[in-house]
Amino acid sequence: MAMKLNRRVVLRGMAGAAVSLPLLECMLPPKRSSAQAAPARYAILFAGQALGGDNYPKNQSRVAGQNITEGGHFVADTSYGRGFALTTPLLPLQGMENDFSMFSNLAIPFNASSADGAAVPPAGAYRDFHGGGSSPLLSGTRSTSPEYVCNGITSDQVIAELNAGQTTHKSLVVRAQPAFYVSGYSFAGRQYISYGPGGGRSARIEAQASPEVAYRSLFSGFVPDDGEDAARFDFALRKRRSVLDLVLEKRAKLVSSVGRADQERLERHFDEIRDLENRLSAIPPIASEGCAVPPDPGADPPIGGDHDGGGSASVTPGSGYSDEHARARIFADLIHMAFVCDLTRAASLQITAFQSHMNARPIADGLGTLPGTTRPSRWASVGGDLHEVGHNGDPDNRGQIPSAGLLQWHISHYAYLMDKLRNTPEGDGSVLDNSMLVFTPEAGHGLQLNDASSQNQTHSVENMVVLLAGRAGGFNPGEHINGNRAHPATVLIRAMQAAGYQGNSLGEVSL
Amino acid sequence: MSSRLAGTAVLALLLACSTGQIGPDRESAGGPDGPPAVDPLIAIQSGARRLSQAELDNTLRDLVGEDTAPAARLLNEDEFRPFDNDYTIQQASAALITSLEALAEEVAARAVADGARRAALVPCTPSSAADEACFRQFLESYLPRAFRRPVTGEDIDAYVPLLAYASEDNPAVDNDFYTAVELAVAATIQDPELLYRIERGTPGDTPGLVELDEYEIANRMSYLLWASMPDDQLFAAAGAGSLQSPQGRRAEALRMLDDPKARTQLHRFHAMWLGYRSIPHSPDLVAAFNRETSALIDRVILDEPGSYLRLFTMDETFVDDSLADHYGLPHPADGEGWVSYEGTGRAGILGHGSLLAAFSKFEDTSPTQRGILVRTRLMCEEVPRPPPTVDTDQPPQGAMDALCKYERYAEHRDQSSSCAACHSLVDPIGFGLENYDIAGRYREHDDGLPECVIDGSGEIVNVGSFAGPAELSQLLVDNGYADSCAVRQFLAFALGRPTTSYEAALVEEIIEAFRAGQHDFKAFVVDFIASERFARRVEERL
Repeated sequence: MAMKLNRRVVLRGMAGAAVSLPLLECMLPPKRSSAQAAPARYAILFAGQALGGDNYPKNQSRVAGQNITEGGHFVADTSYGRGFALTTPLLPLQGMENDFSMFSNLAIPFNASSADGAAVPPAGAYRDFHGGGSSPLLSGTRSTSPEYVCNGITSDQVIAELNAGQTTHKSLVVRAQPAFYVSGYSFAGRQYISYGPGGGRSARIEAQASPEVAYRSLFSGFVPDDGEDAARFDFALRKRRSVLDLVLEKRAKLVSSVGRADQERLERHFDEIRDLENRLSAIPPIASEGCAVPPDPGADPPIGGDHDGGGSASVTPGSGYSDEHARARIFADLIHMAFVCDLTRAASLQITAFQSHMNARPIADGLGTLPGTTRPSRWASVGGDLHEVGHNGDPDNRGQIPSAGLLQWHISHYAYLMDKLRNTPEGDGSVLDNSMLVFTPEAGHGLQLNDASSQNQTHSVENMVVLLAGRAGGFNPGEHINGNRAHPATVLIRAMQAAGYQGNSLGEVSL
Repeated sequence: MSSRLAGTAVLALLLACSTGQIGPDRESAGGPDGPPAVDPLIAIQSGARRLSQAELDNTLRDLVGEDTAPAARLLNEDEFRPFDNDYTIQQASAALITSLEALAEEVAARAVADGARRAALVPCTPSSAADEACFRQFLESYLPRAFRRPVTGEDIDAYVPLLAYASEDNPAVDNDFYTAVELAVAATIQDPELLYRIERGTPGDTPGLVELDEYEIANRMSYLLWASMPDDQLFAAAGAGSLQSPQGRRAEALRMLDDPKARTQLHRFHAMWLGYRSIPHSPDLVAAFNRETSALIDRVILDEPGSYLRLFTMDETFVDDSLADHYGLPHPADGEGWVSYEGTGRAGILGHGSLLAAFSKFEDTSPTQRGILVRTRLMCEEVPRPPPTVDTDQPPQGAMDALCKYERYAEHRDQSSSCAACHSLVDPIGFGLENYDIAGRYREHDDGLPECVIDGSGEIVNVGSFAGPAELSQLLVDNGYADSCAVRQFLAFALGRPTTSYEAALVEEIIEAFRAGQHDFKAFVVDFIASERFARRVEERL
């Protein structure tokens, strides 16, 4: 049974409980007249892969052991403007051509003659992939070392700051790939795409990697319609708050009993508990008629084992995969309903980590035959992990087509979220009309960042592509736009502005 | 044939030398970075440490009988540097707190749903849902275990209002006495006093110096030796005040080392240290490797105390028939047991499949990675990170289309290239292990390439030449790397962070003590716990 949020029921359900008056006040939904526009939402979806394969030009592939020369697989074709061609990676967006725009031929600057951190140009990439690319891509701020750290606030958090206090959740930061998967190694920073004000290590925002917990965190505050259920809900909510209160009551005494370094650690911990308590106290406002608790996703899929980070022979079935497909779909469902219910207005979904070592085979197998070509389905059975596929890890399946297939999988989650928002009415239009959805892969396909000389490389911040969907702020999608080597952050700024951002810069990039 | 070889014609551009390192694995350390307030020889700097996923799962197992490893499932993956307990990079987050709340509710619900587990938690039979006396009895027995310290009346009083949920007259819910028990358990699991090891102690004579109390000492001991909370006996020893004395700590440490939990912890320490904690082989093979390596660790530390260096030099190994076949060793008597390494070139842990599988790359052994493993984990040296202009994601290609692996690494050896300076530190070590494949089997030539005969000779530059695990181990032992580095790794594990340059004298002193004790690791660990400084700490400087 879908549980719709109904203010009358909320009030009735809470009435029998021992609820203090301040709570009643915060339960009231913000007053919004029918003439008032719905809030603008902003989400960024990230794919930890590049746009092609090493050393394979855009029309070259090797599929099932056969070399193939064929266009249409690189994400950005050369047809610009409206009615542009849907390439292989974009196929999940079929039927939504007028709902998104593609910005291609974007580039992050770097110093081709120096690998010195001090020589990196503004908004540029330190010449060491992968770490060097993350900060300029997501925060428009230059990187000066190979570390995975954004040196400025990221776009989603700019929007989160803009809407601070307006929604129960300041932002929704989630990640579908729960484990790094390479034997003996750890994420070491590859798992962050959201950073708060100022950037840097202390500003990074840990993503929730458990769909089960994310679901609970967003929707356990909804009051059921049924009186009996509502009474149970009320009992459960009071229990949760009492438990958190018990912990929080110890704060002052505990914090004052330790040294300053430990005080900082514990204060941060207690701050987060207090924030959770506040979220439990707040009742989700009514955003639209479409707001309903989505189905419980149940227990998370099991987390896959490690492999050696190699190609088709070493990344065996069963390793390196935790059903990221299901996880990404659940997170898309949660972002959708969080937007519909106005639980948050800023979200980031890291589908796969930077330099993702997720096993590509289950993904590729799930794609089936490649629509629109006469090629055999064997193309899909690419072996190796996502990262190694770009580096030709599978001797029989390399180059543009395998990369395009995996990019298509990432974009399928973007398309799924887009479609759900598009089909959810809001005001005179849809929720998508009041949203900006960004999709960005980790890398482009071009000049190798490290050596500044090899062409057609995955470790490249050239020929980058960003997709932008939605119509918030009057954005008018439906085009393929040649970025002419503009910084990808310029696209993020446009998206942020459409979502209500008044400035014209992100980090060191300005429009 | 390696997939890397196929299609090399397309790789018209040779990728310059690469160390094959996956990338920056080390973030610059947070935490203590200035000179500590007190000489590390007297006391060591430390901070509040949040339990790792494994430690939290073990603690919940021992506290409430939880056996589903919920932290491994619901909390974000720990960073291994190489240990899972580096507190200097821990940072509380909304994701952590929401996951902990879900985890706590789940664990608490299971703890009271099961009759036996419930009975273990509650030492009385409640006469009614609102039986305050019984609830207090439960709190008196449970809270000290949850917080791992004695509790005050005030501590207990704070939980008593939860009884209102037990006795609330509410037709919609099935509440009873155990509702309050469940809530108390859920609250403690979210409490920083359970989640962190917070050490307050009492100020010592020197500013910044803290003398730990008995329970804080007990916690240090149990998380070091067991990766879990103290048991009743350790709590009792703390309560009796005996852990304040070196003799008292010694006695308890010896008892604790007899517990199976200590074995598991020693296995975990070695697996994280030597990088084989999650090797990519079939579950059966991994299990066989683990039995082999665990048997060696148990033997040289616990079962036949003596020189720990036998970990590296042992001339026999523990296998079953199938692992013996895997290695080409004779079958053990009785299906499982120790068989001689004689005539194999193997010795000790470096001859094990577990270690030989660690740090492989590109579907094959990586001489560079193995060299890095030996340099960083067994010699405790820093290997310079590859220059940024090198793409470490690509295996070395060497001369155009070179068939044999040794030739493909030629550029690493070319003194005229910029690669040789660093690669000469690591590659020759790895090439000395090349006769042993990714699963630890002996091989004469590159996989599938009989024409590529493996020479198998290796060198630790400026230390000596070797061929195979036995000779490499001997070099590491004879030149004082194996023992000193084992101590450094143990200290990083015990302290929850790498030692700093300010602690050099401390490290040297402890290494000398290990040597003076004839490398008896068990005695060394017990001495470490018995030492004065184990019962102290120094506040971190901000």
